[in-house]
Amino acid sequence: MKLDVNALGTFYRMAREGAGLAAGRLSKMTGVETQVGVTKLNFMRGKEIRADFEDGTEKVGIRVEVTGGLDGHSVIVFDRESALQVVEMLLADSAGDEFDEMSRSAATELGQVMNSGFIDGWADVLETVIDVSTPEFIEAKTVDPFFGDLEEAPDDQDLALLFQSHIEAVGTEISFSHYLFPRRESMAQLLEELRSSDGIEYDKLEGFDRMAEQGATEVAKTATTLTGIETNVEIRRLNFVSLEAIPQQIADDPLVGVAFEFDGTPSGYLLFLFDEDSAHEIVDAMVPMEVDHDGDGFGEMGTSAIKELGNIMASGFLDGWANVLDTTIDHSPPEFIHDIGAAVIDPVVIQLGEDQEFAFVFDTQVVADGQAFDCDIYAIPDEADLERALNDLDVDRIEETPTTAEFGEVE
Amino acid sequence: MKTYGTEPGIPEPVQVGISELVVTEGDDTLKSYGLGSCLAVALYDPDSDIGGLAHVMLPDGDASDNSDVKPGKYADTAIRALLRRMVERGASYTSVEAKIAGGSDMFEFESFGDGVGKRNIDAARKELEKLGVPLVAEDVGGKHGRTVEFTPDTGKLIVRTANEDHGVSEL
Repeated sequence: MKLDVNALGTFYRMAREGAGLAAGRLSKMTGVETQVGVTKLNFMRGKEIRADFEDGTEKVGIRVEVTGGLDGHSVIVFDRESALQVVEMLLADSAGDEFDEMSRSAATELGQVMNSGFIDGWADVLETVIDVSTPEFIEAKTVDPFFGDLEEAPDDQDLALLFQSHIEAVGTEISFSHYLFPRRESMAQLLEELRSSDGIEYDKLEGFDRMAEQGATEVAKTATTLTGIETNVEIRRLNFVSLEAIPQQIADDPLVGVAFEFDGTPSGYLLFLFDEDSAHEIVDAMVPMEVDHDGDGFGEMGTSAIKELGNIMASGFLDGWANVLDTTIDHSPPEFIHDIGAAVIDPVVIQLGEDQEFAFVFDTQVVADGQAFDCDIYAIPDEADLERALNDLDVDRIEETPTTAEFGEVE
Repeated sequence: MKTYGTEPGIPEPVQVGISELVVTEGDDTLKSYGLGSCLAVALYDPDSDIGGLAHVMLPDGDASDNSDVKPGKYADTAIRALLRRMVERGASYTSVEAKIAGGSDMFEFESFGDGVGKRNIDAARKELEKLGVPLVAEDVGGKHGRTVEFTPDTGKLIVRTANEDHGVSEL
């Protein structure tokens, strides 16, 4: 099974189209204005889906099996609270705290309508017919009841392609996520039909993931060494998104960042973004004396400390990649940035937008227990370069490369 | 995408996301957050109070395949689409004026050439000149991000800088 950007682009369009239709139907049923958030194609392992899904809140899902033009399972997942609120709107009556027969059937019907919305969107893009099974209602806190018994959902160590969309009801707390797990054979067939170039072997996605893992581990290790703050990798995702979706993901808060361009196979851009509190914490940890704060800025000392940390983290991250790809990747000197929200990343998106519409984004979050050190890492390689790098990648080598960096014994 | 808490009594501004454009009239407020090298293009007709805002990402739509699907993504096609939609709504072409903000170049990467922000500014100026729409005010370039708010009936484009100066200017 091979994939290329054209095929993934069609998949992406399909997911976005489906999200739009589903949001429209939610509005029609509830009378509430809705908006579609970011749509993503994720390549995730079972254990990461679990980590992402299990945030301690109870969830309600409506799951259907799809067959025909695309085989797999489509699942709408609400926070339990959101589901109860939506049901209240539908029944024009308080649903209480528990799902009774009535509210359960209302939620199931809504979920069915929305699943159908998604599926109609895909069917439109694929110009085919997709059938939908009778919906199942699921209520649980953990991921297993939702995806555990699905053949196409990945095991902890397996990598799967997952479609994720987020829809919000404007002016309310209601939001939900949508997951689509396509069946491997069905996806292989579609990819084959949609592919317009040689593409890359699907199995080389293992290499993608291994790259991301190595890079992230190196970053956390470097950060801990330099700041003395115990950090670890919280989330690691490989997304395939339209370029415009990248700035949309960034909150409208002031951010401190260090940006690099890197050159090699692949070339691209790498950004480390911190919230202001985390950046101050880092400066305090790295600079032994009291730093002059010029207003809410970071001063020369603070700026250079953050740049230095960024520089060493970038080397670690890209060494992790180069290690898997068996190549060298050089990076530019660090550029410091302290600005608001999307402004920190749109120059990169614009530059890449000259030649490509979509991007693979290696999205990683490094955090510290009990201390402010929230670092979002965006690595966005040039698409053509990345394809070349992965094609050159020896799949056997993926197995040989250690999955995690080696750490010294800690007594 | 983001939603924002509603303050009672104050109408919520309509958010114009990256590559989007919105045409409206009267005292509706249009807002684009966190423009770095992206460019905000505001057009308005002071006589009919019809106006619009585009959050442009790239300079040249005529050279791209998908500019008919996403006219707001490119400076040239966004300006033409804004103008067309405004005229369809009742604006008079000859009285339309333009204001632009954004187009910073915060990174000096080799691959960026003369600057990605500058390319957007140049493209917008060129298209406006071609269409004979006067560019009456601008706050462009530099190395900082901007958030803009535009209201057609006053024609005011409020620009907030998000760097350490926290400046607000009114165009």
